[in-house]
Amino acid sequence: MGKRLFFLVILLVVALYVMRVTAHGRVEVPPLGNTLVDAFATVEQAVTRAGRLARDVLTFPFSLVRASQRAQELSERVDLLESELQQVREYQLENERLKRLLDFQSGPAASSHLELAAAAVIGRDPGSWFSTITINKGRAQGIKTNMTVITPRGLVGRVISTTSQTATVLLITDPRSAVSALVQDSRTPGMVEGMAGGAGNLHMIHIPNDMPVKAGQVVVTSGTSRSIFIKGIPVGEIVSVKRDPTGLFFEAVVRPFVDFNRLEEVLVVTGVRSPAL
Amino acid sequence: MPGMVFLPGFLLLALLLQVTVVDLIRIRGVVPDLVFILVVFYAFWKGQREGTFWGFVAGLLEDLVSGHYWGLNAISMAAAGYLVGWFETRLYKESRLVMMVLTFLATVAGQLIYYLLLFYLQVVISPGVALTGVILPAAAYNALLSALIYRRFYRMYLRGWFRMSRL
Repeated sequence: MGKRLFFLVILLVVALYVMRVTAHGRVEVPPLGNTLVDAFATVEQAVTRAGRLARDVLTFPFSLVRASQRAQELSERVDLLESELQQVREYQLENERLKRLLDFQSGPAASSHLELAAAAVIGRDPGSWFSTITINKGRAQGIKTNMTVITPRGLVGRVISTTSQTATVLLITDPRSAVSALVQDSRTPGMVEGMAGGAGNLHMIHIPNDMPVKAGQVVVTSGTSRSIFIKGIPVGEIVSVKRDPTGLFFEAVVRPFVDFNRLEEVLVVTGVRSPAL
Repeated sequence: MPGMVFLPGFLLLALLLQVTVVDLIRIRGVVPDLVFILVVFYAFWKGQREGTFWGFVAGLLEDLVSGHYWGLNAISMAAAGYLVGWFETRLYKESRLVMMVLTFLATVAGQLIYYLLLFYLQVVISPGVALTGVILPAAAYNALLSALIYRRFYRMYLRGWFRMSRL
């Protein structure tokens, strides 16, 4: 009995130690893990595809019912957006003129000149606590740790580990994720954190008391010098605001623009080109 | 010893489904854990020693695939296997309801251990969010799914699919 207990304690201590050293950000994925993940990736990709196909087939009749109503809504929205687009074109031209005048080389405008690599989502963290995805591009395709991952709608997360054929992306909804952000129109700073479980909303904390924000405002990445993320990527829209428990700051619930339940393809930002002026 | 083939086979299949298609039935960020449910079944049939061992193995497999914190699922699943194994000779194995309640309790226990280990790993999540956002919904989801599939697996167990020499 004593021998068995001794063995159990040793096993527990070893497991606790290994758990610590295999945490992301401390060491690279061990070589054995690399091989396993790569071997598993091919099968994962096939099963994920089959699963999505099955879901699409099963939900097809429901989607038909909604489709005609949606078409009506969309056509109204297209009209509205077209008029807005005209206005935006005006602003864009004006912006370019002013930029030339100022010799402006950096800033949010530079973010539109991103070098992107498209990747398919082939797997997701098996549990309910963390939000990570596995994508089918890795070191062999030039993907590196800390690269920003986006979709055309907005920020998805960042690469936290890579193998030769796959990469793991920490989603912004993960409780370990923190993104330095700004409210787009008022430039109010804050930190956007993920939450475990729940409806997939984000928490924006440390919003200064003297710069209150309101529902409906858009949050973008701030891209400050210490931030991993690229500047000006849309994160989400503020849903509600309240004072934080200390009373020193405000905090807001942010609904992300990206639908994390239906993430099939993502874009990894592999570089930023300086805009040609 | 067909169990030496079927149990690891089912665990691997469950793991593959877990990282791929189970995500499609995610509700409010929570997914059922197929691997965990299998461990609960097996521990209930075979007792504490097998429950703990296979809980550890299955948890470690999940850890290897998720690629971080190796041992986190292994320890929490081994503990859940140990707990469920205690009921081996104390409850009726035929009842779907018993299995449902047992899966619920095992998930709560396993996830609480997981939550405590997260503190050790410096991942801080508020207790309220953990309990209402993850632990209880995951337990309910696991319990529901285990009730749906238990009979089928129990029939396989009775036919000797999971028979193996004692550890």
